[in-house]
Amino acid sequence: MISQTVKVQNLMGVHARPAAQFVKIASKYKSDVYISKNGREINGKSIMGVMMLAAEIGSELLLKIDGEDQEQAMAALVELINNKFYEE
Amino acid sequence: MINGRDKKIPKRMIKLQGIGASPGIVIGKAFILTGDVIKVEERTIPSGEIGCEIKKFKRAIELTRKELTEIQAQAKQRIGKEGEQIFGAHQLLLDDEVINDETIKKIQGECKNADFAYYTVMQGFQRSLEDADNEFFQGRLADIKDVKRRLIRNIQGKEPHYLNSLTNPAIIVSQDLTPSDTVLLDRQKVLAFVTNVGGKTSHAAIMARSLEIPAVVGLQDITNLVESGDTAIVDGNQGIVILNPTLSELDRYIKHRDRHNEISKELSKIRDLPCRTLDGKEVELSANLEFFSEINSIITYGARGIGLFRTENLYLAKSELPTEDEEFEEYYKIAEKVSPYPVIIRTLDIGGDKKPAFIEIPHESNPFLGWRAIRLCLERVDLLKKQVRAILRASVMGNVKIMFPMVSCLEEIYKTKVIIEQAKDELRAQKVPFDEQIEIGVMIEIPSAAIMADDIAEEVDFLSIGTNDLIQYTLAVDRGNASVAHLYKRLPPAVLRLIKQVVNAAHRKGVWVGMCGEMAADPLATLILLGLDLDELSISPAMLPEVKRIIRSATFEQAERIAEKALQMKTSEEIETYIRNVMTTRYKQKILY
Repeated sequence: MISQTVKVQNLMGVHARPAAQFVKIASKYKSDVYISKNGREINGKSIMGVMMLAAEIGSELLLKIDGEDQEQAMAALVELINNKFYEE
Repeated sequence: MINGRDKKIPKRMIKLQGIGASPGIVIGKAFILTGDVIKVEERTIPSGEIGCEIKKFKRAIELTRKELTEIQAQAKQRIGKEGEQIFGAHQLLLDDEVINDETIKKIQGECKNADFAYYTVMQGFQRSLEDADNEFFQGRLADIKDVKRRLIRNIQGKEPHYLNSLTNPAIIVSQDLTPSDTVLLDRQKVLAFVTNVGGKTSHAAIMARSLEIPAVVGLQDITNLVESGDTAIVDGNQGIVILNPTLSELDRYIKHRDRHNEISKELSKIRDLPCRTLDGKEVELSANLEFFSEINSIITYGARGIGLFRTENLYLAKSELPTEDEEFEEYYKIAEKVSPYPVIIRTLDIGGDKKPAFIEIPHESNPFLGWRAIRLCLERVDLLKKQVRAILRASVMGNVKIMFPMVSCLEEIYKTKVIIEQAKDELRAQKVPFDEQIEIGVMIEIPSAAIMADDIAEEVDFLSIGTNDLIQYTLAVDRGNASVAHLYKRLPPAVLRLIKQVVNAAHRKGVWVGMCGEMAADPLATLILLGLDLDELSISPAMLPEVKRIIRSATFEQAERIAEKALQMKTSEEIETYIRNVMTTRYKQKILY
């Protein structure tokens, strides 16, 4: 299992569209994806879960990925977040 | 539900005030839509049948997927990309691993029937979203409920209802309209719809507007007060629903409706005429715009530009939050459409009763005196600057003006101007073009700002009086509070006098002044406002022809005298009676409101 902390940088935070993007990308990989914020952990492949995190700009998210393609999954998801979900 | 009423006794008239979500007036028979009521029973499944139950659940998911694909295609065709996206979100919810795994676990571990297991899991999520006190999540909730109902119906093997039972045109009454119900509404059979819940920015409201079906939402318990077949009047303009109207009420509304139809017939005649008094004084008549989808009606009704574009709906109505580029595109699109006439874009007026998801607004015991609009934006400079940049970028069209809401003192104006300058500098550095001469204005809607209008006018290019808040704050009356609502007046003398002060102050400094509250659209106020020398009135499109007609029927000199006289009166009743008299006797105007 690998983990990494990332900071939400897009102004509007992780809401419906970014959440959907995250879930779609996470679901491409075989590995399990978990996100935690302030100690609350959710499944990164669940749109409901990601939406309920309500991660605003500046939130620190801890990504934990476990599985055969964990490296690739981590790279793709970190890239998505660091590129502000390609919104700005 | 009360159903034991004796049908022979004429039913009592019930007048309900809700939120006008889509304009228009219709009279028709009510039809209660009960298809969205789902019943789920808890059963224990014998362990041998658990596999079967899981299969049933999975099969229902596939069935639902097929239905959604079909609806998505229809939504795309009828509503466009926005409709398509809504149902894209439904597909993601349908495929949610966590929801589906938990449901299967519940079927296996607790030996429960599939519909009950799924229902319980969804209720859990729904409750946590309901606890989140903001409109953004309320919008998601409608999607979640819609998917939930659809999947449960498929688990139970029931046929979809699709409003098929409707044979004659009717007014649809329901708890809530799901996004899919709204998409499938048959414009030929649905006269209007009215619902217990929902706000102006709910999906149902947005779709009703784009389908041009009148709608009133937020009526609380109308489903319990009405029976299918009852006569109902729906006034989407004022958010009123009247059940079992008396003959005189019916008569009043028939006149009202006919008047609207008459106006729309005469529209083509008056639309292209200038908004000018008999002695040649011109008043800018522009429209308030809430949604881009309404822009065509603004043009149809003959508005000269947009006097108020409320940007908060960009944030509240959509399922996602806008980026700077998206905001820019929206503003640019509007500016392009109304060019060469101007568009005044008002920055975010959120807080109070409008809470988006992306800002934590603490509970306030008095939100209307609390953290909202410019107060909030000056602390969330990131948001304000993003919006100012987007508006500046759209100003390359040359007809864009920017306006700030809820200003209460000069300090706020100084701070706001610093941010505008920063945004301009950034754009210059990035070589992004914008209108260097863009006009900057503020809303005058707080008494302190009205009193300081003189000094405020020195700092800006224009003022726009927001009467709804100005009345509320000047009279200290919350219109939504039934115990004091009667104190909220249409033409309060104190407010008229304040308006006069503001206009005079602005004109002394060579600054123009408009009005964008409800009073600007009130035919009873038109002659007074004309006489007070307001330069611009911005009103809801449907009222444009009426107000223009009144302005065209008088001279400015007459209006000045009428205003002068009204300003000397002591009560709002006195003013109202006087104006009604003047209008019916001197100008032969029919007054309906």
